[in-house]
Amino acid sequence: MPPSAEQQAPPKEVDFEQVIDAMAKAVYEGDIVNFRLLFSPFSPARESSTESFDMPKYAYLLPDDEMAAERRFAASRALVKHPQMMSQIKRELEANRPPQLPWELVLELADNAVRWAKYSSAAQAYELLRVRARVQREFFTRADAALDAGDVPTAVRGYIIATSLAYDYAAFPEPLPVTPDFQTRALVLHAEYPARLEDCVGLREPKALLQTALAYLLLDAEAAARLDSRSMEVRWAFLKELVLQRDPAWEDFVPRLREACVAADDLLKRLHERYSAPSFAAEMDTRADLTDEDDPRRIPALLLGYSIEDGEWWQYLKELAYRHPAAALLVARQAVGDIEVILPRYAPDSPVIQASGV
Amino acid sequence: MTKVTSTISGLDETAKPGEVRKSYKQRMKDLVMEIARVEITEDRRAHYLLEMATLNAAFYLLRDSTTRDAYWTLRNEVIALEQQWREAADSGSGDADTARRMYDSKLRLFLSRYGEEAMLEAGRDKECVEASNWDPAHERHASRILRHYRQSLYQQILERLPYYEVTTPRIDWEERKRTVAAILAGKDH
Repeated sequence: MPPSAEQQAPPKEVDFEQVIDAMAKAVYEGDIVNFRLLFSPFSPARESSTESFDMPKYAYLLPDDEMAAERRFAASRALVKHPQMMSQIKRELEANRPPQLPWELVLELADNAVRWAKYSSAAQAYELLRVRARVQREFFTRADAALDAGDVPTAVRGYIIATSLAYDYAAFPEPLPVTPDFQTRALVLHAEYPARLEDCVGLREPKALLQTALAYLLLDAEAAARLDSRSMEVRWAFLKELVLQRDPAWEDFVPRLREACVAADDLLKRLHERYSAPSFAAEMDTRADLTDEDDPRRIPALLLGYSIEDGEWWQYLKELAYRHPAAALLVARQAVGDIEVILPRYAPDSPVIQASGV
Repeated sequence: MTKVTSTISGLDETAKPGEVRKSYKQRMKDLVMEIARVEITEDRRAHYLLEMATLNAAFYLLRDSTTRDAYWTLRNEVIALEQQWREAADSGSGDADTARRMYDSKLRLFLSRYGEEAMLEAGRDKECVEASNWDPAHERHASRILRHYRQSLYQQILERLPYYEVTTPRIDWEERKRTVAAILAGKDH
């Protein structure tokens, strides 16, 4: 009779120091996925599982020397290593039922996730603790206080964090954290072809532009409405800071925008001279006899920094909004002949453009 | 349990079909007139679609004794299971997880049946269509709104139940305020 599996393999021994390190790393990094994995039935931290921390595929769960030397990692490790916490973790890893995660670690993990700007992870952890909405309100309150004190960068940071902790209860099949989807929102923003110049997003009257821009960049119209009672100056300053905080690579975009503006001006002037003053939309739409030099598709490519093969205006817009969210506030759709492209169009005093220094 | 039970105000499980019909028609008429009076924004559209779907579902379920009894039976079962789970959780009994699973599965069934499916079904009912002018366009818009409604209800119910995925937290909100302030100031990273 062949030996049973139990006879073949000696019982697995788990090095609890490794379990502590792995848990501390997940907490320090604010990584809810790794943290839950450590408690899962197949976790290398469980004696009942055949998985082991010594397997190369789990190396990512353990901290490297550099991380181990970090002050905040040491704090997370101390929290995990507390005798009460250790016995609780051991109990959960030995129990043959769904684990109950220790709330102290989940809360610390959520806070760290916010510090690392891992907002989806933070929202999930706060949601598990059923405190997400209240923490969100706390960030809004603090951000409003910072705005009262004239500290715009802190206020903007607070608004970004608060709105990033939102949850979408209409998500399918289960509720999920709201994630930035500028590529979709930009399409909605430009869904209608602007029939008049003033219909272009960037050329709307200042109040309407502010409202649109804040709701778009904050990903939440209600959060934007919290700023309605503020003066125009404060809201302009807020928007300017928001553009920069939303897009750390905004400075890379500015020279391309400048170049695209020059190219668009040049193109429109040439078309204007050649076709006896085309109006914004109607006349240029009818022109099909464009030379290579007049090809308007090079302008969206300049804006984006590369061209998309057979790229339509909406493909450029999606890519652009994904890389530089605020860029969608500075462009408009334009048909030239049978080609439709996006061109830079904005008011010179727009705070979005002031933020770029163009 | 859900808004469906209290939608047709003043009526309970003993209400006769005639009373249900009369009350529904009056409330739907008021709602349609209110919708006609206001400017429709996206938020208002979502609100009114939900109101209309809820009224339709309430009428659709309560006018007929079979559907009404099925609704009340399932609702009472969910309430009883919640009580069982609470008691098992309070006593620290080993059956708490089994009780929770039974309750959770029944609650999800109840919410999806009466918080979503019944509302869409009601929108295809002849009497409801006649009173509310509900059409396929409403249904298309309503599916996301109803999913949001169902999942928000589940979340609201969850808030009052014992913790099971995490140990029961003891949050010090003064400490939370300090943490939020420190994170915003970037002082502790």
